[in-house]
Amino acid sequence: MAAAPPSRALGGITGNATALRVTAGILIVMAFVPLLHSGYYENLGRSVLMFATLSLGWNIIGGYAGYVSFGNVVFFGLGSYVTAALWQHWHQQSIVLAILCAMVVGVAFALVLGMPILRLRGHYFGIATLGIALATQEIVSNIDWLGAGSGLTVRPVDAYSTYYYAMWIVCAASMLATYLIARSKLGYAFVAIRENEEAAAVLGVDPTRYKVVAWAISAAMAAAAGAVFAGANGFMDPPTAFALDNNVFPIVMAILGGVGTVAGPLVGALILTAINETLWSHFPQIHTLFFGAVIVVVVVFLPRGLLWLFNTRGGWKGIVGSLGAYRV
Amino acid sequence: MSEAFLSIQNVAMHFGGLRALDDVSFDVERGSVLGLIGPNGSGKTTLMNIVSGVYKPTHGSVYFNGKRIADVPTYAVCRLGIARTFQVVKPFANLSVRENVAVGAMYGRNGSKRNAAASFERAQELLEIVGLARVADRHASDLTIPDRKRLEVAKALALDPEVLLLDEVMAGLNATEVDEALELLRTVNARGVTLIVVEHLMKAIVSISTAIVVLAEGQKIAEGAPAEVLASPRVIEAYLGTRYAERQRQRQAQS
Amino acid sequence: MQLFWQDLVNGLLVGGIFAVVALGFSLVWGIMNIINLAHGSFVMLGAYLSYVLFSTWHVDPFLSIPIGFVVLFVFGYCIQRFVINFVVRAPILTTFLLTFGLSLLIVNFALLVFHGDVKGITTQYSGSNFSIGGVTIAWVKLWTLIVALVITALMQLWLTRSKTGRAIRAMAMDIDAAQLSGVRVAHLYAIVFGLGAGLAGAAGVLISLSYSLQPSMGDPFVITAFVVCVLGGLGSVQGALLGGLIFGILEAFGSQYIGTGLQDAVALVVLLIVLIVRPRGLLGKATA
Repeated sequence: MAAAPPSRALGGITGNATALRVTAGILIVMAFVPLLHSGYYENLGRSVLMFATLSLGWNIIGGYAGYVSFGNVVFFGLGSYVTAALWQHWHQQSIVLAILCAMVVGVAFALVLGMPILRLRGHYFGIATLGIALATQEIVSNIDWLGAGSGLTVRPVDAYSTYYYAMWIVCAASMLATYLIARSKLGYAFVAIRENEEAAAVLGVDPTRYKVVAWAISAAMAAAAGAVFAGANGFMDPPTAFALDNNVFPIVMAILGGVGTVAGPLVGALILTAINETLWSHFPQIHTLFFGAVIVVVVVFLPRGLLWLFNTRGGWKGIVGSLGAYRV
Repeated sequence: MSEAFLSIQNVAMHFGGLRALDDVSFDVERGSVLGLIGPNGSGKTTLMNIVSGVYKPTHGSVYFNGKRIADVPTYAVCRLGIARTFQVVKPFANLSVRENVAVGAMYGRNGSKRNAAASFERAQELLEIVGLARVADRHASDLTIPDRKRLEVAKALALDPEVLLLDEVMAGLNATEVDEALELLRTVNARGVTLIVVEHLMKAIVSISTAIVVLAEGQKIAEGAPAEVLASPRVIEAYLGTRYAERQRQRQAQS
Repeated sequence: MQLFWQDLVNGLLVGGIFAVVALGFSLVWGIMNIINLAHGSFVMLGAYLSYVLFSTWHVDPFLSIPIGFVVLFVFGYCIQRFVINFVVRAPILTTFLLTFGLSLLIVNFALLVFHGDVKGITTQYSGSNFSIGGVTIAWVKLWTLIVALVITALMQLWLTRSKTGRAIRAMAMDIDAAQLSGVRVAHLYAIVFGLGAGLAGAAGVLISLSYSLQPSMGDPFVITAFVVCVLGGLGSVQGALLGGLIFGILEAFGSQYIGTGLQDAVALVVLLIVLIVRPRGLLGKATA
């Protein structure tokens, strides 16, 4: 068997270096979208950036730390409501203020809830987070201060492209943060937990502490995205804030692009948004149906995502071969 | 309260009705190599798990430098200075060999003094010592069995331990590989690390241990210098059965 | 005080349904280590099947129960054998997402076929009830509970006495050993999944008797099933039953004293408390 290429080409835990450079390039190019003066493309681009951020957030706890959260939308929703509440009750429009407050709220939520539920292993955490997301949506629907079921309006800052740039900054910051984490001791703590939690503990990594940190980071990212979204959307109610799409799409995007890599989430966001747009315009009736099919196909054939495709020994043949690995 | 280096005192481990360990006591001297032997099921791995903080004993305690191990959470045991290898070797599959060892260097006893770069340097040093420098960049899952065992030792050493527990590290190695492993262990011991070695390979144990403890059915049945312990009839009986022990006694009586 | 007993009884009555739903979920989770997020959609399919049979051929829903079971069993068997089987030993994320994707497919398919408007079944006996000591009990709900108990008992018997049942339990303990012993694991896995789906289908039929139908009706049941399994303990039929009944009661009281819109919040609080205080549940086996 030929010697495997050196680890730097495998990208360590940042992911394939070339893919990362290309993706970073795409991100920079996206900063110029508002110059097209097209509402459609700006919306689309902002949507990609939002989903990429959510996916980057999920990638920290789900991809790097290996703890699948099925409820990260709760942070997005809370972040959205922070913006809405800031306007409704204190007449604050500042995006920066909204983002900072949202991040604080998100992190606090993750710390408080994370302590009990991250003590346990994978399965429980996954559905517990789903339960948290659903329950929070329900609770918010019953709180009048947050507009209960009818929601709150948010007055957007006048220059529309501001929200685009804000989302871009949030996304770029998230990606940079992921990159820095992946190259630092912290990233290795996460990955060690993912690969073998018991062995990680024996090597000195406190699993609960680092899982909570991972979740808190992902909460901060999701909350920031939510804070910007609320302003751009102009309105916030429970179904919008806690939409299932915002919960699941980021996960599928991370998978498609490559879990546990820095570039994966954005790549996945770009591809899936493109697919979604195409489906929307051609098959509006059954686009969710198709999406379900896309998820099924992606999960079965590309369990590790596109970027891992470039890392797997044997490329395509490796993928086909690995199809047999998980079956009985 | 014993001020001994590592002191196992009246340790018992019950799993429901099963008594895996029953009132086991012995001390380990600093700098020594203790061989822990016994037939299958005698409780050796259980004892290792207790000393490394993975299990909490049902009764009794293990004291290390005066501190009780059971008081400390599993992830903090390495900071006391105790490291171990596992019988079933499962490295971090998706990380390179160097990265595997680096994790220990990052979070072990001296981890807080190192950043990522320093941890990788330390990992490289350790890989040289155990002989894995040539595969430093390979995926850990690609290694051969002997190399995986070396990786286990390197990861444990990354924790800068005072005591290293080795759980059947020679299993699955051929004669040459066993000799290489013994060499490595001697090198490690010479650097001041106390070793507790659990092994089935008698030759290996005899050649490397300064003292031996024998367990059978959860109890300590012998303790002392290798030669006398292995000649002890009780030990022979535990391993080879009463009939063989009887024949051995008759042979000795006749000679 | 009256209200207390009424709530208690209401809780028990609905708890039976929870138990059956949870049982199917628990089997798949306990034996195949798959958390089936499409379980709720199976419940929904069972309910709609009952509706279709009733509105087209006037089949009484109680008779649809075995039909629902069989149809969903076959459906589940095929899904496992030909789709899920590819990733059955993969990490949880993969199966989570796969079953979620399936759930999206199934629910949206139902949306296309049946449309989103709320439907219901009204039989001759729908409204009739009786009273004991001031507590009103609807006949339909009582019979639902009885059927649920029967189903649970039958399942327990089958798992412990039948050859297939025992093979399944052996497989759950050690899949490689079972395979080496000649157990046809792929087939058995499909049977287990089919059973899970069948039970969900039967529960769906039971639900159609007392509750209204819409394509998204199954979603809350996944959380319910999960909480009941955690509460009652995984890997135990009695656990699913006990958990279901208790959870039904908790929800009934929660509805009464905290508010009707907060079912999920109640479920979540119960879940968190159980996970913190006694993770293996009331009757579950402690795992290492």
